[in-house]
Amino acid sequence: MLESLVSLESMSLSSMDVSVLERLKWLQQQQQQVLSTTNASPELLQFHGTNNDELLQNTFSHFQMLGSGFGPNYSMGFGPSHEAMDGCISRTNSCQMDQADTVGVMLNNSEENITIILKNKRKSEVKTREEEKTEKKIKVEAETESNMKVKSNLSNTEASSETSKQKSKAASETQKLDYIHVRARRGQATDRHSLAERARREKISKKMKYLQDLVPGCNKVTGRAGMLDEIINYVQSLQRQVEFLSMKLAVLNPELELAMEDLSVKQFQAYFTNLPVVVASKPSLMVDAPLFPLDQQGSLDLSVINPNQATTIEAPSASWETQSQSLYNTSSLGFQY
Amino acid sequence: MKQTNAHMERQIMNKRKRVFSVQEKKNPKAVFAKRYVSHLVPALKKINMNKPSSQINSKSFEQTVKHEVDMALALSAQEFAWSRFLQHKLLSSPHEDPSYSSKILETSSCKQDGKEGSEIKKKLKELQKLVPGGEEMNMEEILSEVGSYIVCLELQMIVLKSLVQDNIS
Repeated sequence: MLESLVSLESMSLSSMDVSVLERLKWLQQQQQQVLSTTNASPELLQFHGTNNDELLQNTFSHFQMLGSGFGPNYSMGFGPSHEAMDGCISRTNSCQMDQADTVGVMLNNSEENITIILKNKRKSEVKTREEEKTEKKIKVEAETESNMKVKSNLSNTEASSETSKQKSKAASETQKLDYIHVRARRGQATDRHSLAERARREKISKKMKYLQDLVPGCNKVTGRAGMLDEIINYVQSLQRQVEFLSMKLAVLNPELELAMEDLSVKQFQAYFTNLPVVVASKPSLMVDAPLFPLDQQGSLDLSVINPNQATTIEAPSASWETQSQSLYNTSSLGFQY
Repeated sequence: MKQTNAHMERQIMNKRKRVFSVQEKKNPKAVFAKRYVSHLVPALKKINMNKPSSQINSKSFEQTVKHEVDMALALSAQEFAWSRFLQHKLLSSPHEDPSYSSKILETSSCKQDGKEGSEIKKKLKELQKLVPGGEEMNMEEILSEVGSYIVCLELQMIVLKSLVQDNIS
């Protein structure tokens, strides 16, 4: 393992003349070696750059949408594939396969900042490679989930071809941080425009998914048009109800005791606990790192997520979602989007 | 490992319950409701005091109340773009009836064989009319704003319901 590491270190990152096949071979080698020697990671960890913690923090803070497949099973290549796309990240610091370098689809809701951490540091290259490959598989999973398709079989070849595409794209696009990082799937164009398009589309579909949870009765409808229909209907009905209530209030107003200073929020607490919808939920979590510092939120995530994953592989996302959402609800201070 | 995680989880859940009851302010819904009540009630009082009793139950009175209701909504949710738009609209035309009920859903008029893109665009236009300030947003922005708008509308309804019910009984 170490010898191969040393040999790969000599390979410089920017050398694009290294053939893809060669890289794939190495990757597969590494993959197998990793699978067999999961305890070799302490040495691997030494190869990491020093700013992995930052990366990790950034990853955590921006990562919320994906990564139901991540976790202790990371070294296996595929995390358990659930529908819990909306679950939180599940990387543990103690996880041997430290994913510090790896990248998520960093889709912020704010238009201008789409920060990504690109791996491919020279020192951690090997680890990066194997992480990349496994990461890619999981990422592809997440992607397919996010697009609401079900691809149950991601073959190695597909993943590896994506790996190759990913590498060419990554190498050609950027070596720095603060860039959009969108996975290119097999057979898809990798130029800037289509990537930006894809990123945009994924953002939109994520928002639609969030709205689907928000609006009751949206689950049965598929397709954007139907969902938009439902949303429109719901908003209209809400507005009509508000109008009706305000009319009622106007009628009652003269007789209002208006001893309302006593009216405390505690009256509404009963409603709040019953309300299934949460404002500060998934999309909002991607916004600001300061709101969710790693030491608080990250550890919260990890501690809560891991039991779910470890114990129930087919864990339905619903209960977990409400848990996590209510968790974030208490600490988030506003409706952050 | 699992045990400690489960233990931590329980701790967090317990903490959450504690936090919820003691530190209400952290709960954004509670924050909104508080703000809303604090805006609406004084406004209603003011209306009561200013309007002579003859005007009560007239259309303009209802409109005034509605105006205050909407204003309270806009002021309680300042974080969002739609609330700013709503504020502007209310301030510029104080007695205009937004007439929510007059918006008709036009889906039935859409051709079935139209492209999905254009259908979606039509729906988006509808949505734009519903959400305050929607005309100036593109698709992504609208989707973000709609979520918060829906939640705030729901909260507003809860507050109004309880206000009405408290005064009926």
